[in-house]
Amino acid sequence: MSQSTESHAERGSVSPAVTVSDVTKHYQLGGRVTALDGVSLSLPEGSYTAVMGPSGSGKSTLLNLIGGLDTPDSGTVSVGGTRLDGTDDATRADVRGTEIGFVFQTFDLLPRLTAVQNVALPLTFADWGRAARRDRAAALLGDVGLGDRLDHRPPELSGGQRQRVAIARALAADPSVVLADEPTGNVDTETGGEVLSLLDGLHESGNTVLLVTHARRVAERAQQIVHVRDGAIEGVERLEGDAPTLSVADDPTGGEN
Amino acid sequence: MDLRETFRIAVRSIRAHNLRSALTVLGVVVGIGSVIVFATFGASVQAAVVSQIGQTSANSIFLTPASIESGGQDGPPGAGIADATRPVFTERDVTELGEINGVETVVPQGTVRLSGVSHAGDTVAQRQAIGTTPAAFGDDDIVDGRAFESGAQEVVVNEAARTAFEQNLSVGDTVTLTLADGDRRNATVVGVADGTRGGLLSQFGPSGPQLYLPSEPFYQTSVEGTTDGVRVTAYPQVTVVAEPSQTGTVADAVRAYTPESDAAALLPAEQTVGVQTTGEIVGQIQEILGQLTRFVTGIAVLSLVVGAIGIANITLVSVTERTREIGIMKAVGAQNRDVMQLFLTESALLGTGGAVLGIPVGLVVAWGATRFAEVGFTLALDWMAFAVVVGVAVGVGAGLYPAWRAARVDPIEALRQE
Repeated sequence: MSQSTESHAERGSVSPAVTVSDVTKHYQLGGRVTALDGVSLSLPEGSYTAVMGPSGSGKSTLLNLIGGLDTPDSGTVSVGGTRLDGTDDATRADVRGTEIGFVFQTFDLLPRLTAVQNVALPLTFADWGRAARRDRAAALLGDVGLGDRLDHRPPELSGGQRQRVAIARALAADPSVVLADEPTGNVDTETGGEVLSLLDGLHESGNTVLLVTHARRVAERAQQIVHVRDGAIEGVERLEGDAPTLSVADDPTGGEN
Repeated sequence: MDLRETFRIAVRSIRAHNLRSALTVLGVVVGIGSVIVFATFGASVQAAVVSQIGQTSANSIFLTPASIESGGQDGPPGAGIADATRPVFTERDVTELGEINGVETVVPQGTVRLSGVSHAGDTVAQRQAIGTTPAAFGDDDIVDGRAFESGAQEVVVNEAARTAFEQNLSVGDTVTLTLADGDRRNATVVGVADGTRGGLLSQFGPSGPQLYLPSEPFYQTSVEGTTDGVRVTAYPQVTVVAEPSQTGTVADAVRAYTPESDAAALLPAEQTVGVQTTGEIVGQIQEILGQLTRFVTGIAVLSLVVGAIGIANITLVSVTERTREIGIMKAVGAQNRDVMQLFLTESALLGTGGAVLGIPVGLVVAWGATRFAEVGFTLALDWMAFAVVVGVAVGVGAGLYPAWRAARVDPIEALRQE
């Protein structure tokens, strides 16, 4: 990764990039379903975390809350220092555009935009100038090895290439956290490996990465795995000795597990 | 999000569905086009009719019997044609009107009943001729020869009458008139005219063969006079030709005179003497044609509404198809108003495209229609402006609801959708 993606890392890694505190979320689905029940989690800046859990465990809900797509019924969520609970649509849209980078399972590029336009999309909504957008997007595509595919549209790219475009897009606004939802779910094993290497690279260049997956093999790339079951955090598994502090107690800034 | 980028993305989405965008635009083209066609054609006919009347009798004031019920002088021209043919204006009225200040001449006009006209052994059936005075012919009316003289056995014909016979008439020829009562009279053709200053119903379009005769000796219609029971000559129509720029004051003076005229005395109680200046008649005709144009154009507006529904429909389809895209855009930071703006721009572009294409299409068709109807081509600029504004408004209006739906798309639901 180049310098262009390193700014968050340079700010140091003391403050948490994401803080989730005692969050509860219910859905009305036939009956009242508790998706998350008193979950607390803190992701230090520069950390690489995987969230694992079976279907319906609440891991998608957690991702939606951190990603500012949804608001909790109770508890607080803050990303990059901005509170997302109890905010209006406009504020959360702002945060999604500037503090969060999404990488989806199905790539989710806009089919009619070229690679460089897709990468520049968050900057378009953040009112960047046209030339600045293009320069930034071209640099990011260069970083993920697609410098020669700037003006290709998604249908002209392979699955792996599309996911690389999606990763470049996630980094466009230099977000506080990159949220990857099953990023290897839709590509073959070899391409999946490439994608995971890219995510590793993001981490190495200082980005905070949160990866949601149900595949152990994928989760093992992270520094720690948060196991979610029935709307609660079941446990945290540390994979690297030197991993930054990750806390899941009621007190999000509290002691280690 | 800046408007230029919105515009770019909207254009890209429209072009991604070329055929269906084109069909939607076609709907608006038909709508705007029909509005333009009817409005332009209406304006052209209006201009043609008005200029035809205005040219021949700009300073004329027309007096005809009119029923009070039908509005008298405010009624539309031609209302109560039966009433308008009552011979009531006497020679005294003509003289009195002629003495009003600013009057150039007074032209009485009546109908001479005929059964036929013969020339060089060829007889043409002709029900009537116009009995009037030499003053009926202005300088522009005579195209060949001269006006007839009062009391002379002379006739002036129009172009249609000149060519009605096997051998065309020319100035100096003699025609034989067979009057309705069977009498035959010879008259010398002294001139060819393309109209007269008198009469307000005889001015529309190219008319059939027409003969103009001096009222003395040909016009025989008379009524019992108002005073001594003596029969006096009476005309159903009188035209007062005012000096230019005096038309208004003369019209007022004519109106002041009519209550004491013989005509007023001779008319039954429910009728009065109608007085109309050319300007008033032109105004009324304009109003009638204007109403007609608005009515027909209003029907054309219906097709514009259909076009609008087309835009609303296709934008709704587009929102539904692109729900996932909306979710993606929202996930990467699009505000609700960005999404709304995007879809509104798309529908506004479809509407504007329809307007921009509809105007030339409408103008070409309208031009063809004016050629066919043999009237001059007059642009209805106000309607063209209206069509563009409506086109854009239709696009925006039709896009409002779909765009609002798009803005309200829940990104979580949208991203879950396949």
